[in-house]
Amino acid sequence: MTKLYEGMYLVDNDVVREDWNKAKALVTGAVEKHGGKVVTARRWDERRLTYKIAGRRRATYLLAYFEIDEGALPAMTRDLELNEHVLRYLQLAVEKVPETEFELSEAETSAEFSVPEPPGDDYVEEETAPQPEEAARPPASEEAPAAAEGDPAPAPEGDGASETPEAETPQAEAAETEAAETETENTEGEPVAAQED
Amino acid sequence: MAPKFKKKRKSGRPLIKLRSRGCADRPLDYKDLEHLETYLTPQGQILSRRRTGYSAKCQRDLKRSIKRARHLALLPFVG
Repeated sequence: MTKLYEGMYLVDNDVVREDWNKAKALVTGAVEKHGGKVVTARRWDERRLTYKIAGRRRATYLLAYFEIDEGALPAMTRDLELNEHVLRYLQLAVEKVPETEFELSEAETSAEFSVPEPPGDDYVEEETAPQPEEAARPPASEEAPAAAEGDPAPAPEGDGASETPEAETPQAEAAETEAAETETENTEGEPVAAQED
Repeated sequence: MAPKFKKKRKSGRPLIKLRSRGCADRPLDYKDLEHLETYLTPQGQILSRRRTGYSAKCQRDLKRSIKRARHLALLPFVG
């Protein structure tokens, strides 16, 4: 039974530098070799990896949608495993191809399209280094302005887990404890007061 | 009667909740990195349900998406 799959592949930049179509054929060739049909395939992005894979710090991401028989998929993935130029892959069964994918993949087939040459392996974008922290923090503080009085950095799980910033429950607890304490004070204080009188 | 003292907080830092409305508004996808990064601590840990405000199902989807992105080296495992 044929199924539709979405595949994301990390392709070695050395192959992309040589020829993009050759890099693309690493994946599309593997699909077609095992009787599959490639619906769309396009360059998703070229980016720095968050950790090294096979000694590479950067790679090109290829996003493909293809139909293939369920039984043929393990053989195809084995081919990908053996291929040194495909650093990593993720294949997921999906129900349909997103509509935007057709437009984006068609744009790649036009004559005007050219793949920018990937930078060197040690190249670091100036923007990307501080971005993750900055991008992660402001939405948290914006969405919870009442709670973001102090340091906007989220507290570790264990520390803040027992106490919530909501005003109702801590106050209620405090009132209960104080009420209990005043009762105990009164009970202890009564004999003293009687002695004074 | 006014309380004489306030109960001391055990932790100095307030618990910041994202108070999201759920994953139905913006579906979780491993390719949507800007969205996923909002649910990570600066160290790269996934925020708990208490912090995200997600339902159990949405939290599972979030976990799955982040782990897929980590597998493809789009998001870090640590730091």
